[in-house]
Amino acid sequence: MSSNAILVVGGGFSGITAALEAAEVGHEVYIVEKNPFLGGRVMQLNKYFPKLCPPSCGLEIQFQRIKNNKKVKFFTLAEVTKVTGKAGDYEVTVKIKPRFVEPGSVDLSDTAKKLSKDVKSDFELGLGDRKALYMDVPFAFPNRYVLDKERCTKEDLEVLSGSDVINLDDAPKEIVLKVGSIVYATGWKPYDVTRLTNLGAGEIANCVTNMQLERLASPNGPTCGNIVRPSDGKAPRSVAFVQCAGSRDENHLNYCSYICCMASLKQAAYVREAFPDARVTIYYIDLRTPGRYDNFAKRILNDDRINAVKGKVAAVAEDAGSGDVILTVEDAVTGIKSDNRFELVVLATGMQPSIAGERLPVDVPVDEMGFIVGGEEKGIFAAGCAATPLDVMKSAQSATGAAMKAIASVRGR
Amino acid sequence: MANEQRIKPDLQFVKDVQAAGGEAVKKCYQCATCSVACPLAPPETPFPRKEMVWAQWGLKDRFEGDIDIWLCHNCQTCSDLCPRGARPGDLISAIRNITYRDLVTPSIIGDWMSSPKHLPKLIAIPAVLFLLIWLITTGFKLPQGEIVFSKLYPGDYTIDPIFILVASFVAFTFFKGVTKLWKSFGKSTPSTLQIGGKTKKPTLIESLKAVIVDEIGTHSKFNDCGNDNTERYKGHLSLFYGFVALAIVTGVVAVSHWGGKIITFIAPLGHTPMPLWSPVKLLANVGAVALIYGLTMLTRRRINVDPAKSTSSYYDWYLLGVIWAVGLTGLGAEIFRLAGVPSLAYPTYYLHLISVFMLFAYLPWSKLGHLVYRTTALVYAHQAGRLPLKREEEKTFLV
Repeated sequence: MSSNAILVVGGGFSGITAALEAAEVGHEVYIVEKNPFLGGRVMQLNKYFPKLCPPSCGLEIQFQRIKNNKKVKFFTLAEVTKVTGKAGDYEVTVKIKPRFVEPGSVDLSDTAKKLSKDVKSDFELGLGDRKALYMDVPFAFPNRYVLDKERCTKEDLEVLSGSDVINLDDAPKEIVLKVGSIVYATGWKPYDVTRLTNLGAGEIANCVTNMQLERLASPNGPTCGNIVRPSDGKAPRSVAFVQCAGSRDENHLNYCSYICCMASLKQAAYVREAFPDARVTIYYIDLRTPGRYDNFAKRILNDDRINAVKGKVAAVAEDAGSGDVILTVEDAVTGIKSDNRFELVVLATGMQPSIAGERLPVDVPVDEMGFIVGGEEKGIFAAGCAATPLDVMKSAQSATGAAMKAIASVRGR
Repeated sequence: MANEQRIKPDLQFVKDVQAAGGEAVKKCYQCATCSVACPLAPPETPFPRKEMVWAQWGLKDRFEGDIDIWLCHNCQTCSDLCPRGARPGDLISAIRNITYRDLVTPSIIGDWMSSPKHLPKLIAIPAVLFLLIWLITTGFKLPQGEIVFSKLYPGDYTIDPIFILVASFVAFTFFKGVTKLWKSFGKSTPSTLQIGGKTKKPTLIESLKAVIVDEIGTHSKFNDCGNDNTERYKGHLSLFYGFVALAIVTGVVAVSHWGGKIITFIAPLGHTPMPLWSPVKLLANVGAVALIYGLTMLTRRRINVDPAKSTSSYYDWYLLGVIWAVGLTGLGAEIFRLAGVPSLAYPTYYLHLISVFMLFAYLPWSKLGHLVYRTTALVYAHQAGRLPLKREEEKTFLV
């Protein structure tokens, strides 16, 4: 039996947008998100383009739209494991991991504080710790704690068993959904910095990635928004950005990640706002500031303490005594190769499709880098960064487009 | 614009570069990873990024006097890290190949050495020459009795005059080449800005000593390179000392033979064929083994190298091929002579003469020319202070 429901895989900005567009014209929509909360990468940012809002701003509206629309159902800690059928008539198996916390938005922060063990937070990209009972950020959606039961000590479990909203016997579930079309909005992940061996491979404390800097700058991040050096907590007086850290490189990501130039310009502004005396240098191959973003770039680069140098950094070393970072680079305009010392270095790592190297439960063509490049004849549509590197605005446009195609594909039946 | 610069691209030059081993040059997008990756690149106008853009744009005149093509020791660290697969290391090799072709006259030899289609001519010259001698000495017959190669090719009247002529021609050609290079380096090499302590310019003798003893003697630059160069280092060092040993043997034979005509008591020292226990013969055999070992290592490396990172040009294979021929025919002639098989020993010796002629007579136009040209460049660079960027506290810019 054919269905005009739509499945959206991925609950980031693209997935939420696609889901709402389809639901608001009357389709039943399911969002399947593998993390405990919706919002995806945008949630980790301090501010995002085009208006430099904090993520709470745009996402809060989206979360409201989801709450107010009965047509949207979402599953967190969930993954699609099997898809059978054909366009218009898919049967999708979804595996849901236990959350161990009952529905409702009970504030469990006091309970969480009682837990003894600190766990490295994936959300903070290794810069901060969390308890086993946690929410990523205060406005997380759903606003419902999640328990990482495997990371609990015996004593912790005893503490938790006293709470009536915590269900330690929660078990994995499997559900089956019937849908007519599927939108893949699986998004992206930061390129694995350990593979950038000539850029320190993530082993130099004061050489962070651009996503880590977002967490450092974020008011709800591990440093409460203070941009400081991970090694000693000092405010940096000089910061360098290393562009194309993995992108436009056939040994790593063989494409331009589209967002990193703008991200570095934005982050240069964070640094300059926080520290009026700090100097910033951006090392680039080409500064790519598409469309109206060029005005933003001009404004940022007008600051005489922000310097852009054409030349890719190809060697990064740590100065053991000071914790400073030494970059070796040739300024391709002056033809001078030199060692340059900075107190903090940010690698502008690119975006890799989240599904790179994974086997999808659906048979859609994927290019050698992991972007979805087809499948539309099967009623499967890629949205946002699952298809190509995009910023938030263009991801939303792409998601709207994917939703339109999904609607058209199920309406035709 | 007041200071407008017109670029005159030489499109034929771009094609030449691509044909000589730099096919991938057009992929470069000038990110400058290569100049940083190169452990030998100096701080001012480092290589090979600038060479990449010159070659892409056909700026042939910029390469005149570019000393950097000789400072590169071809470790391929730049090509490994190159984000575009543009293979800067191969480009620099290609420019060196074009230099071998064009640097010295007669340019016809340079042309013939640049493409396999001319190989038959290069082989034919010594083949006909030594065949004629064979015809004159024995009427193309194999001599009877104990195998002594001088029965076929009497040293005094055939081998020595020919190779003395060849050696003089090669020496004169190298003299021209070195003079030309030295002058061109003077025009193009940037003067080095010294930061920190004052340094004195080394004399020519000091620089020669530094280059020959500290660099060439130990092959230290091979290990300064970024990549693991063990195979190349061992192969090249072994081949180099193999040649040194064989050069000493040749020297002893020549000096004792011709000098022995005046100072008679040294004459027996280099009298051929030598007994196997003779220290000179021992050195010759050790040299031959080192030669073959080195060749094996270098050939194996070229066969196994990832073609996406580095390719081998005709210049590379010509040189390896000729040295293999010299080594194998040399050893072969000795073995067949000791085994007493004249029907194999004499023809193998004939082939040996052809390959030795091909190695030496065309030397200034072959890749082996680097022996002289690179040494010249290294001495010049040592004097001019054009040395690799080293991490020094006082030379690190505090930003």
